[in-house]
Amino acid sequence: MSRILTVIRQPLVVALVLIAALLYLGQALSPGFASGGQVLRLLIVASLLGIVAAGQNVVILGGREGIDLSVGGVVSLSAIIAGNVMNGADSGIVPAILACLAAGAFFGLLNGLGVTLLRIPPLVMTLGMLGVLQGLLVVIRMGIPSGRAAPGLSSFVTQPLVGGIPGIIWLWIAIGLIMAFMLHRTVFGHRIYAIGSNEHAAYMAGVPVRVMRIALFIISGMFAAVAGLCLLGYSGSSFANVGEQYTLPSIIAVVFGGTSLAGGRGGYTGTMAGAILLVILQSILTTVNIDESGRQMVFGATLLLLMMFYGRGRAMRA
Amino acid sequence: MTKLRLSGVSKAYGATLALRRGDLEVMAGEVHVLMGSNGSGKSTLCKVIAGSVRPDAGKILIDNRPVTITGPHAAHAQGIGIFYQELSLAAHRSVEENICLAALPIKSHLFVDRTLLKQRAARYIRLFEEVAGEGFSADALVGNLRPDQRQLVEIMKALASEAPIMIFDEPTSALDRAQVDRFFEILRDLKRQDRGVIFISHRMDEIKAIGDRVTIIRDGETITTLNLAETDAASVIRLMVGGSGDMPASQSSAPAVVNGKDGAAMTVRDLSGRGFRNVSFEVAKGEILGFGGLHGQGQSALLRAIFGAGSISSGEVLIGDGRFDASSPRDAIRRGCAYVSGDRGRDGVISGRPIIENVTPIHYLRDRLLIARPSKLRDKVVPALQSMHTKFQSLFHPINSLSGGNQQKVIIARWLIDRPDVLLLDDPTKGIDLSAKADLFALIRQLAAEGLGILLYSSEDAELLGNANRILVFNGGSISRELTGGDRTRYNLYQAAYEAA
Repeated sequence: MSRILTVIRQPLVVALVLIAALLYLGQALSPGFASGGQVLRLLIVASLLGIVAAGQNVVILGGREGIDLSVGGVVSLSAIIAGNVMNGADSGIVPAILACLAAGAFFGLLNGLGVTLLRIPPLVMTLGMLGVLQGLLVVIRMGIPSGRAAPGLSSFVTQPLVGGIPGIIWLWIAIGLIMAFMLHRTVFGHRIYAIGSNEHAAYMAGVPVRVMRIALFIISGMFAAVAGLCLLGYSGSSFANVGEQYTLPSIIAVVFGGTSLAGGRGGYTGTMAGAILLVILQSILTTVNIDESGRQMVFGATLLLLMMFYGRGRAMRA
Repeated sequence: MTKLRLSGVSKAYGATLALRRGDLEVMAGEVHVLMGSNGSGKSTLCKVIAGSVRPDAGKILIDNRPVTITGPHAAHAQGIGIFYQELSLAAHRSVEENICLAALPIKSHLFVDRTLLKQRAARYIRLFEEVAGEGFSADALVGNLRPDQRQLVEIMKALASEAPIMIFDEPTSALDRAQVDRFFEILRDLKRQDRGVIFISHRMDEIKAIGDRVTIIRDGETITTLNLAETDAASVIRLMVGGSGDMPASQSSAPAVVNGKDGAAMTVRDLSGRGFRNVSFEVAKGEILGFGGLHGQGQSALLRAIFGAGSISSGEVLIGDGRFDASSPRDAIRRGCAYVSGDRGRDGVISGRPIIENVTPIHYLRDRLLIARPSKLRDKVVPALQSMHTKFQSLFHPINSLSGGNQQKVIIARWLIDRPDVLLLDDPTKGIDLSAKADLFALIRQLAAEGLGILLYSSEDAELLGNANRILVFNGGSISRELTGGDRTRYNLYQAAYEAA
C-alpha cells in the first residue's frame, strides 16, 4: 500500500495520469480534440513552453531561491531580433540563431552577475530585468519593423520533418536527452544539484558556486532565446510582448514536473510532462470559451495547488 | 543564608546522561564559580536553573522553598536572571531597547513608554560609561557594535533583570582588562546587596579574583565545593581532571617523535586573521599535530582560514617549500589540502543526493573531469568507502539514509580518492558513535603513516592524547603552550587551557 502511495506521489506519474485524463476530457467536450493532428499541434506549442522551462528548470535546481522571471522578455526580444535579422530570407537563419543566442546569453549573464556579485535576490533581479527588457522592446518597436520569419524556419516548426513529426518536436526531444545527460552524467550537472542541496558544503568541496550560478542564468537566457526564435517560426511574424505568456507557465511546468522550488531536487523529464499538461489545459480552457484572464487565474491557482500538494508530500517524507 | 539549592538534579538526552547528579548551593552575597570541562554538564545545570531545560529528577529550592521551574518565563518570575553565552540580542534594535527587552515599560496598556525606557536603560549604561569605548551610546544599533560592546550590552541586559539570583555564563570572553575590572566591581556591588551570583569562566585568574566558592563538576556529577581562598589553581584542575590526570597519554597513544625524514608537510608563520593571531607551527610529513584548548579559542577559525574559507590578515602558509595561501577552498583542494568539518550538516553533507555524489566532488575537481561515468566512478568510490568500513546498501541511496557516523565516513571518503598532502580535521568526530570514531582514528593514523601531514583539532581531550604526536594548546586565539612527549597529560592540557592568556 505504501509503495503504491509512493508511486502515486511521483510527480511524473501524476502528470502523465493527468495528461491522459485531460485528453479524455477534451475529447468529450469537443470531439476531435485528441485526434492525431490536434495532438501534434498541442505538442508543437508544448515544445515552445518546454524549451523555456528547460532554462527555468536549471536555475530553480541551483537553489538559493533561484528563479528567472525575465524569460518572457528574452523570448519577445529574441523573436524580434530573429525577425529582423532573417527578414523572410532563409539565408538569414544562421545569423539570426547566433544573434538570438548571443542576446539570450548576454541578458542571462547580467542576471547572473546581479545575483552573485551584487547579491540581489533572483526574484528581484530577474523581475527588474524583465522591466528593462519590456522597455527595450517598446524602444525597438518604434524604430524598426517587426520582421518576418524565414520560410525554412516556419516549416521547421510547423511542417512534418522526419516521420511525420515537425522539426521542433525533434529538437525538443533532443533537448530532453541533452538535459538528462547533463544533469545525471556530467560533473556540471552533479554540481547543479550540489549547490542546490547545500551551497556551503558544495563550496567547501571546491565547487565554483558563483561561476555555476552565472552559468545557469546564461543557460536560461539562451533557452529562452531559442524558444523566441521558434515562436517566430510558429507565428510567422513577431509582435510586442509575444513572450510574456511564458513566464508563469514555465515555472508551473517545472513545479508540476516535481522540481522543488527550494532547489536541489527534481529533473527535466517531469518538466516536459508538465509543459504538455499545461498546454492541454490551456487548450481545453480555450475550447470551453474561457478568455485570457480566466486562463491566467486557472494557471495561478494551479501553481498554488501544486505547491500545497507537493509541499505536503515532501514534509511527510522528511 | 542559602539563596538557591539544587540537589540530585539529573537530565538525560536519549541514552546520553548529560547530568548524573548535580548539586549546587549558592549563598546570598557570594559569587559562586562553576567549573568543569567541555561536556561535563555545567551548561545543562545552568539551563535547568534558567528553566530552558526540564530536569528528569532532583529538587530545586529558592530561599528554602521548593520550586518547579517550568520555563524561562517562570525562572524570571522566580527571580533568576541569566547572561547567555550565545548572545541573545536583537541586532537591529538600539542598545537601550535591548537592555529593557525582557520587560519593556508600557503606558496606556499598549504603547512602549520611551521616556521610562530611556531612564531605565541609562542606569545600566552609566555603569560602563568609562570603559564602553568609542561608538557606544544608548541609541546605537547593537548590530553596529564591536563584539566586546555587544557583550557589555548582554551584561547590562542581565543586570536590568534586577534578579536576586544571577547566572553569568562566560561573560568576560570578549572583554578587555578595564571592562572586566569594571564588571567585577559591579559584581561586588551585587554581593553587598546580598544577591547570589553564579559565575562561569575558564580563566583561573578571574576566578581567583572574583569568586568566593567553587563547585567542580566532572562527568555530569558534582565532585565538591571548595572555598577559593583555601585552595590553589593546581588542586582545582586536578579535581576537574580526576584521578588519572597525571598519567601520560595511554600506551596506545601515538609516538612522541615522528621520523621527520621527509621534512615539513605544512609550515605556518605568524598567521593572523579573524579569531586567531600570531600562530606559527610546522607539521612534518607523517605527523599528527593536535590542537587543544577550550572550545572556540581560534582552532576552527585557523583551520578554516588555512583552507581558504576564512580571513587571513597577515602571515604565510607553506605546503612543502612553496607558498600556499589558498584564496578559496577550491584553490586549497587543487593544491593538495583537505578539510573535514565536525559540522557535517553545514559544511559536508550534500543532503538528498546519492552517496556516490557525496564522495566524488573532490575527485571531479582534482582530475578535472567533465563527464561522470557511474561505472568508472564506482571503482574509485567503493574502495574509499570500504577503507572506512562504511555501511551502505547502495551507492545510489541518498546520503540522508545513513547514520551520522556513516555520513561522516562518506564525507571523509571523498578525500581518499586523490590523496591530499595535508589533512585538516576540525573536530571531526562531533556527534558520531564510538565505533565510527575508532574507524576514523585508525584511518587517520594510517594516513599519517603514509606520509600525510595532519592537523587535528578535537574538543575531546582523550582523542588528542591518544592520537597526536604533539599538541598545541590554544588560548584566546593564539598558541599558549606546546605539549610533547611525556608532557602530553590530561593535567597539562587542562592547565594550559585554563590559564589566563
